[in-house]
Amino acid sequence: MSDIEEMLSVSEPKTDTERALARLRARVDAERIAPVSRGLSAPRRVAVNIWVRGLAAAATVALVATLLTVSGLAETILTIFEPKQLVAVPITSTDLNSAASFGAYGTLTWTEQPKPYDVPDIRTAARESGMTVLTPSNLPQGVGAPRYGVMPKTTATFTFSAAKTTQAAAAQKRTPPPMPANIDGSKLFITGGPAVVAFYTDATATTGATGATGASGASPFSGMPKLIVAQGKPPVVQSDGVTVDQLQSYLLAQPGISPQLAAQIRAIKDPSSTLPVPIPVDMATSKKVTVQGVEGIFVGDSTGLGSAVIWQKDGIVYGVAGTLTEQQVLAVANSLH
Amino acid sequence: MEVAERLGLGTVPGRGLPPAFEDLFRKEYARVVAIAHRVVADADEAEDVAQDVFVSFYRKHPAEAHYAAPWLYAAAAHTALNVLRSRERRGKRDAVEAVRRDTQMPDPAQAAETAETRSEVRAALGRLPDRSAALLALRYSGLTYEEIAAALGLRQSSIGTLLRRAEDAFRKEVTK
Repeated sequence: MSDIEEMLSVSEPKTDTERALARLRARVDAERIAPVSRGLSAPRRVAVNIWVRGLAAAATVALVATLLTVSGLAETILTIFEPKQLVAVPITSTDLNSAASFGAYGTLTWTEQPKPYDVPDIRTAARESGMTVLTPSNLPQGVGAPRYGVMPKTTATFTFSAAKTTQAAAAQKRTPPPMPANIDGSKLFITGGPAVVAFYTDATATTGATGATGASGASPFSGMPKLIVAQGKPPVVQSDGVTVDQLQSYLLAQPGISPQLAAQIRAIKDPSSTLPVPIPVDMATSKKVTVQGVEGIFVGDSTGLGSAVIWQKDGIVYGVAGTLTEQQVLAVANSLH
Repeated sequence: MEVAERLGLGTVPGRGLPPAFEDLFRKEYARVVAIAHRVVADADEAEDVAQDVFVSFYRKHPAEAHYAAPWLYAAAAHTALNVLRSRERRGKRDAVEAVRRDTQMPDPAQAAETAETRSEVRAALGRLPDRSAALLALRYSGLTYEEIAAALGLRQSSIGTLLRRAEDAFRKEVTK
């Protein structure tokens, strides 16, 4: 027996399961406790699912939009995209559904796969990400302890392929504009991260484990964490020659891109330093806010389930999201230090 | 069938528990009590914790949920830790008394001494961060790394390291 086993030893509990079950039945009866109501809980579950799926789809669109903004001075060989500011780009569910996945235009090869993992504490998170990890000094009531996850630096190469585009379009019975010869075979080098995500559990739930999702990716729980605080280096994109104008003209002319979305992206004034943040307009609304002394984007989930704020400062993109009110999310964001 | 049930609004309160929930209760009750007992070191309190845990699950989750067992284990550990901490706040005498009820020894002096030691150890457990304390409670209740990982939403590969750290922290806390 180990020392700890000995310290924590207790006498063998004698349980009478049937008697305990009878006690529970009596309590449920006396207190008229209702079980989880499938009919009533469904909309919340659906809303959460839509929100999560929306975010996943938005991430794909963010990559497309980010690549659309690959900029630079014409004729330079290496073009660098390094965002210094953020802009909200409203997208509709039609955009999400009809836009072809980026894979339809070529091949994405990961040189360093995105492999998030749990770390035991904030010090490890800071050491392994190489960043100073900020923590909130102001936490709303009901927010429990944080758990940290690290996403190491990720790199990928995207190679455009005219043949693959034609094939993908044919499968969907679509006729895309022909890929310009200088885009076919050209490469984009994408770097993202590292990033650190802190998941704060819901302390009001009976278990601290209800919302563990995200970095661990292995949680059996259906709920969301009460609060997520994330920070990371923004994506950097380099091109081996294609300019933003060429890419924009080509990609924005694709059949899946609505004229509204195309106009939004064309309206970005300084595409080489602007990170588009896709906002699924059917599910969320957004507005500009001041956070940590800089301009940020507040995103409110229109189902009333949560809100988020995202901003960039000193070369790091920060995000705070949770099943909290706008005031609470902003208070957490402003208290990061 | 009740109208509410026809409309898919679930079982009407006061009409008994759904069979799937009763099955879950029968399957997991002893284990939930064992986890809580490891933390609070009082069989009666452990059974109270188990009742609260099952009521909480009943209110919020369907009995058929694939995560039912890990949810119950994690909830048992966390709820028991809350009970332990509130007991400690009420004072040492209360804490020792709770453990003493559970310490069945023929010699009263020996029982008192064991109760005191167990109570001090529990106080140390209660001072640990929630996750560390829950890890110890689950591991020393006999859960496998896989079950602990599922219950606490952690990677199975990191359980060994986290557990060792929790054990070190616990030893330090006990000898404080």
